[in-house]
Amino acid sequence: MGFRLHLDGELHEVTVARRHPTLILTVDGKELEVAAPPGPGDGHGTMEIGGLEIAFARAAVGDRQIVRLDGRTFDVALVDPYSGGGAAGGAQDALKAPMPGAVVSVHRRPGETVLRGEPLITIESMKLQTALPAPRDGVVARIYRTEGETFEKDEVIATLEPQTEAA
Amino acid sequence: MTAALFRKVLVANRGEIACRVMRTLERMGIASVAIHHHVERTARHVRMAGEAVEVTGNTPGAAHLDIEQIVAAARATGADAIHPGYGFLSENARFAAAVAEAGITFVGPDAATIALMGDKISARNFAEANGVAVAPSVMPTDDLDAFAREAAAIGFPLLIKAAAGGGGKGMSAVRSTGELREAARIASSEAERYFGDGRVYAETYVERPRHIEVQVLGDGAGGAIHLFERECSVQRRFQKIVEEAPASSLDLALRERICASAVRLASAARYKNAGTVEYILGADGRFFFLEMNTRLQVEHPVTEMITGIDLVRAQIEIAAGKGLPLEQSQVRAEGHAFECRICAEDPGRDFMPETGVVQYLDVPDERWLRFESALDRGQRVTTDFDSMVAKLVVYGSDRQQAADRSVTARKSLTLLGVTTNIDYLARVLDHGSFRAGDLHTGFVREHAAALEPTPLHADRRAQGLAAAAFGFHEVRGLVFGTPEPHAAIGKWRN
Repeated sequence: MGFRLHLDGELHEVTVARRHPTLILTVDGKELEVAAPPGPGDGHGTMEIGGLEIAFARAAVGDRQIVRLDGRTFDVALVDPYSGGGAAGGAQDALKAPMPGAVVSVHRRPGETVLRGEPLITIESMKLQTALPAPRDGVVARIYRTEGETFEKDEVIATLEPQTEAA
Repeated sequence: MTAALFRKVLVANRGEIACRVMRTLERMGIASVAIHHHVERTARHVRMAGEAVEVTGNTPGAAHLDIEQIVAAARATGADAIHPGYGFLSENARFAAAVAEAGITFVGPDAATIALMGDKISARNFAEANGVAVAPSVMPTDDLDAFAREAAAIGFPLLIKAAAGGGGKGMSAVRSTGELREAARIASSEAERYFGDGRVYAETYVERPRHIEVQVLGDGAGGAIHLFERECSVQRRFQKIVEEAPASSLDLALRERICASAVRLASAARYKNAGTVEYILGADGRFFFLEMNTRLQVEHPVTEMITGIDLVRAQIEIAAGKGLPLEQSQVRAEGHAFECRICAEDPGRDFMPETGVVQYLDVPDERWLRFESALDRGQRVTTDFDSMVAKLVVYGSDRQQAADRSVTARKSLTLLGVTTNIDYLARVLDHGSFRAGDLHTGFVREHAAALEPTPLHADRRAQGLAAAAFGFHEVRGLVFGTPEPHAAIGKWRN
């Protein structure tokens, strides 16, 4: 069970590894034991991670969360865990927009091959650029939105050729 | 304190400086009047004032520049003086004249003095005539060829400036005749656009110059004193972002000469008000007059911090005809102070202005600092006004302590929702060359790479991501289920 967070042009994988007896999250594969998680809503306070008490402030700005921690600012967006790669079956053929935005650049043309995780399309949303990775290995079937065009959240912006049985 | 010097003062400004002026007025037992455009009707300076008058205009900025409306507001509210703050109409000779004509006291010099110092060429000539060093320069003519020839004769590099300029507008450095012609043309059109006056001139460009300025007080009858100097060498886009008092590592004899030069100018001009004489100082110890600002300066608090003198109070007393509040021998400086200008801008994008809503604001509170702002939670920061949203002013017993405290204070200052230069300023104050006092106006450019954020450590990034994750209710649902078990929550205040 996980989700992806967008920070400084990169996506980070977060999962809930365990809830009891203590909450354990993984961030990019690394485990974090969160003993006293912070409350909801804009505010400031602490959380306890790996035995360390960490002070920070956090506020929602649009769909993003802005965090200030140890004199640094983190501008974080949640990439919908139910869209994009990861799902089974036919969904893997489609690259869906995780948020509304505009296409900055298209890295593969129809007919070209792409490996899972390679950037397929770079989008810009709320001033943040994100490279959307291919959900699996495959051949690009169609690109529905090209440079400069806008799209809505969950819109399919590219598809891969359906996988054949022969590998 | 005897009877109030004025009964009521209209503050013809907004933002932090209007609030700062009103604070002193309140201490002096003087009523205050605010002016505001419709978009800022709930702003802090409006709430602080005893009365407030709405001024109208095509833009909020235009409303604050409307001389007739502002003078009418002062009349209607029975204000007996107008304090102009800085920016807007503070150095507008027509405004000072209109105020005087209405029988209201202008907290500043008379219109003639503002006009004299407001024109860079007449100010230079006046300074030179009164024994204040000015940089070798060429005055402009309509003949661009002759101008280029004469300018080249002084020697490169040269700085092209707008006669009516300020804030770096219409300013550029050139290193060859070819560059000069094009730069003069651009500067002239820029000056025409910003100031309605296309005259430009060229002067010797001092390499690695330091910006040193002297705070003066003049009584209007030739009496003038200085309150020591400030250094404002850390600039971006020709605008100051970190200022300090006193200047770092300034030779005592040199300091005395610069301060004496400023007093000479203020005295010769029979200057009346607090004012600032700005100089550039070369590595060789030569200093040249830049300009005189005939108003309260943005960075005035650093001088207040080291001298203990309230400059707004001094302005009010001088305007009321009480003369200088103290003699030169009574002015003492102790310790060191820094001011950081907090601007809504993105240092990662060449300091481009940023906008947004202040979602969260937590301000450090220490007896050794002043956080000057008119910010409120929920306030929208727009491009209607200047990008400077606050000033962090910090005092220390010496330069190192003041710098350390500035960095500490900045870490506990939390402003979320608008991108600012807060972290950038801390990197400046932590930089080795800054700490060593190795300053010049090209500091920001010279150390651009070193002033970029250090790479984020993976552990710190994970913590930041975790902290953010708990702000998304989708994630909270995933982690805690609905409803959330209350016991799981740590210390958290909304």
